[in-house]
Amino acid sequence: MVEPIFDYQFRLILIGDSTVGKSSLLKYFTDGKFAELSDPTVGVDFFARLIEVKDGTRVKLQLWDTAGQERFRSITKSYYRNSVGALLVYDICNRASFEHIPLWMTEAKRHIEPHRPIFALVGCKLDLVSNGGHREVSKEEAKAFADQNGLHHIETSARKGTNVEEAFRSVTQEVYNRIQSGEYKVEDGWDGIKTGFTRPNGLDFNLIEAEPAKLSCC
Amino acid sequence: METSDSECFESADEEIYTEKENKKSKKVASSPPPKDDLSKEVEDITNLKITESNDEQPVDLNNEPHEPAKATKIKPSKIGVKTNKSDNRTNSHSTMIDNKHIDTINVTENLEDHKDTPNEEVNMWDEDEDWEPIETKPEPPPPVSTNKSWGWDLSAVINAATVGVTTVTSHVSQGLSTVLETGIGAPDPAELARQHTQETETHNADDDSTQSTTNLFGFGNLVSGVTQITKLVETTGNKVILGGLDTLESIGKKTMQVLQEGDPGFKKKRALLNIEGEKPVLSQILREAKEKAEFENRLLEEQHFARKANYESLFDDHQGLMHLEALEMLSRQCSIKLERLTESRFGSELVELQETMNQIVELCELIEDEDELEDTSEIKEKLDSAVSEMVINISYDKLLTTRKEAEHWLDNINLQICSELELHEQAIDTLAQLTALAVERYHKIGELLLIKEHRSTADEADSLVQLTMILITLTGNMATKFSNKLSEKLSSSAHKDHINTLITNVYFESANSSSYLKNAFQLLIPVLQVGAI
Repeated sequence: MVEPIFDYQFRLILIGDSTVGKSSLLKYFTDGKFAELSDPTVGVDFFARLIEVKDGTRVKLQLWDTAGQERFRSITKSYYRNSVGALLVYDICNRASFEHIPLWMTEAKRHIEPHRPIFALVGCKLDLVSNGGHREVSKEEAKAFADQNGLHHIETSARKGTNVEEAFRSVTQEVYNRIQSGEYKVEDGWDGIKTGFTRPNGLDFNLIEAEPAKLSCC
Repeated sequence: METSDSECFESADEEIYTEKENKKSKKVASSPPPKDDLSKEVEDITNLKITESNDEQPVDLNNEPHEPAKATKIKPSKIGVKTNKSDNRTNSHSTMIDNKHIDTINVTENLEDHKDTPNEEVNMWDEDEDWEPIETKPEPPPPVSTNKSWGWDLSAVINAATVGVTTVTSHVSQGLSTVLETGIGAPDPAELARQHTQETETHNADDDSTQSTTNLFGFGNLVSGVTQITKLVETTGNKVILGGLDTLESIGKKTMQVLQEGDPGFKKKRALLNIEGEKPVLSQILREAKEKAEFENRLLEEQHFARKANYESLFDDHQGLMHLEALEMLSRQCSIKLERLTESRFGSELVELQETMNQIVELCELIEDEDELEDTSEIKEKLDSAVSEMVINISYDKLLTTRKEAEHWLDNINLQICSELELHEQAIDTLAQLTALAVERYHKIGELLLIKEHRSTADEADSLVQLTMILITLTGNMATKFSNKLSEKLSSSAHKDHINTLITNVYFESANSSSYLKNAFQLLIPVLQVGAI
């Protein structure tokens, strides 16, 4: 279980009502698996995954999976601060969970200040809709809200794996773009963005891999 | 071509050094006589004369012992590497010298070759425009030589034969043994040249003495006996060989001279070759490449193991750091709450609050108590009873499973197969994982305590103290078990120091584990304090 080498670490937080599917989304993203049943999250849980952005930069995503239950609200608030991105998660078949999104967003903005995180609006349980379930939030409505607030919107299914990767990838790419443009910086005392492991002894692993092949031909 | 050349030279190089060590090799010039091809030998007699007279040419061998000695300083291996245009000549010469030496090993077969060599070289060098032919063209046999004719020569030979068949034989056998002793037996050109000089001297002495006998007995002596002729042929054969070798020696020597012509000590040529010398010899490249590859492999392996056995990164891999960090956040949040509260209180209220705070800190003091925890069910029982006082829904099953798996692994490993590094790696990983799981539990306890409706701070503190002590003992015991396994390897291993370092490291990380646990527990104190007010 050796941790792969990465260039950046981004901390993303998932927030939203309980049972919308935050943990399932993360489990699929990090494990590629879907659990039919899972215990409600206590406080916060952690997931991690390495992905590459478009220019090949390796980013380790540290994913904070918060409890959606009201009783943990006071606790989860304290975890917001060090996030560079927040996924606002709702259940496509649960109107209330979508209606709470503005509250979650305000809460997150307030706690992450002075930093300005990237938000993404993620609808979950898309598979239920195609499976005869009742859609309570139309795609258009969600899209309109997202556009209005400058968010990226995507509908996903953790059961089928639909758009799960894309949901995280779009946020990661956006954070990375803002680093490139200088809008985001690595700051001491803030763990939203960290630089990753430098390659040991400045050795480039690609070079090392190339060496033996070169040797065999001389 | 480059390859074979340089290899040739390398082997020649080695032999030069063995030769120098071996004083016996002085007689190396002689080689076994071919007993089979008599007619050819007779034919070769003329040739021998040619070469002998050739030897007596103006080059003063005695006066130049230093030059061949210098020649040995040159690293033939470097000469062997090629080659820009200007060096081609040098290169081919050197190659030829070397070939000649190799030939001396096979004198029996190569008699023909020896005869031919001078011509070969002349032809070759003639092709070279830069070549100054004066030096190397074999001089035509001077008339004096031919005048000596059979009469002198044969009687001289007979004389030599009667006196010295035995000496020749011993000479030859000596030569043979030297050849054997020196491996492939290609002698140093300088050495050969020196021997040649000595040999020429003795020949000359022989000739002088026999010259007089020739005058006395004249041609008639030939009739003295067929048996003598047989002997004669035999000895002539020897001489032919000697002569052939002499030819080779002189060729070698002359080549060296030509090479040094206008370039004493090969300074210019060496300077030229030095440019080439920067291109290292093939074998050198390969050796260096191999060493480099080995070094890098070792480095990678060490890094791999270092990374695999790095407690902090493993602790992080098991999400320990994140939970610790989240626990710190919780703790800080509670501390801020407490500070605000203290600021808002005055007088006796403040004193009371501070007393309560201090009492809780006192309740949380750990008693160092090294319990032996062996049985899994016993540990589970203790943990459950400790946790029960907190009245929260928390289970240590995952931690207990991890511990059990580690024990199972330890019980089933084959110490013959399992290396100390693997064992150490497993030890560190187990410690890191157990500690990460424990820290995660502290974090969860903190969260659950904060959302608990009816707090009972004293019970919670007592519960956490017990819990922490059990966990510290548990990780400590695990470290001891791994260390014991490592110690078992001590007796059978050659790297005792290395194993001892690993054992020390296991204990070190075990101490690290308990400080992580204590630290996590300390972080919960504000959580307890918040519950008390």
